Amino acid sequence: MTGDASKAQAAFQDTVREAALRSARDEPLPDRLWFFRDARWRCVAVCEQGIQAEAGMLEEADISPVAPMQIGQLEPDQLAVWISAAPEPQRSALALFYLDEFTLRELLSLLEMKAAAFADLLSSARRQFQAWLDATTPYDEEPFFDGNQA
Amino acid sequence: MATKPDTLLACAPITEKPGIDRAMRVAIQRARHGKKAPSFSQQQAFDAAVAKLVVAIPVDAQVAEWFANENLIPLAKPRWRKILLNPAVIAVIVAVTVIGAVFAYRVHEHLKDFPGADKARRLLSVAASSRSVILDPLQTDAGTLTDLFFMKHRLEHYDVPPEFADFRTLGTRVFEDEEVRRVAQIWLVEKRMQLFLFPAEQDPKDGSLKDFSDWRFVELEGWTGAVQQRNGVCFMAVIRGREKDLAPYLEKKKQ
Repeated sequence: MTGDASKAQAAFQDTVREAALRSARDEPLPDRLWFFRDARWRCVAVCEQGIQAEAGMLEEADISPVAPMQIGQLEPDQLAVWISAAPEPQRSALALFYLDEFTLRELLSLLEMKAAAFADLLSSARRQFQAWLDATTPYDEEPFFDGNQA
Repeated sequence: MATKPDTLLACAPITEKPGIDRAMRVAIQRARHGKKAPSFSQQQAFDAAVAKLVVAIPVDAQVAEWFANENLIPLAKPRWRKILLNPAVIAVIVAVTVIGAVFAYRVHEHLKDFPGADKARRLLSVAASSRSVILDPLQTDAGTLTDLFFMKHRLEHYDVPPEFADFRTLGTRVFEDEEVRRVAQIWLVEKRMQLFLFPAEQDPKDGSLKDFSDWRFVELEGWTGAVQQRNGVCFMAVIRGREKDLAPYLEKKKQ
């Protein structure tokens, strides 16, 4: 979410420290989502100090049937950089959704948004990512081999 | 504008785990078997590929170790005080208490009941609506009316108990009631009390008439009646007030 491992680690350490302090003060955490909610806001705060991505600047394209193959050609770090470059709250939405750990209800609670807004963010992110894939990782299907032409 | 199923489909989970909302399950099933099947399956394949790559993003070893320890910090246990102060819980508790109280009152009321209690309550409503002018004026001792009821109306055993026999009367009447049948009503000077004599009711279990010499009470809208049954005839003294207002008259016999 931060695009920088050291910043992310610092944010997560702060979250763990806050949790430990609460526990020491006999203030147990309200739910398991508290960790993610707190870490998310710390990451958002860290990212606000740097250069900000602007919403609506990227091209969009329909999801391609060959998208899984295009994605398969990517390095994990490339995806991490693409997600971290997205504007808030799209960045948080993508990071949490693709972790595939939360139900929709939990995602909406973490992101503090309505389902329609979340759906819009995901849909536009998919189309933007597809456009980026088309530009950076074109997938060439194997050419049809016609024996008669040989 | 996106419809609700479209919204749900756009947020469809990458892997279906237990705990998915019913609306989401329905939207997914419809999408898989409807016109949107091709585009939805493309979206699912896209999401699965991205999720697979996300899992492969390297995580710092120290952070990974923290994540592995799920019990790093204890979570809050639900506190009884917090649960009890929840408005929904309070509303349920109040509703259950009220229903329970009404039920207990009904049970308690019926435990005290006796054969003829319903008739007695009906006559309490008659007492509440009666005016002295509808009675035949008669100033005498209540105890002497036994002979009048027998001689004039052929009502046998319509006896006024000794506790009330010495009180002076204002008037009396005998009337026919649909449910209670032949009722003798006496109006006393003493605190405007009214006395009723009416046929006893048979025990619903065995059809017998079970007399009782102790006083049993019925109440209705601020009126109280003390009932006694002898020789198959019920006697009821009625007063506007509560049981304690009748009590002194009922103890007179003991003195």
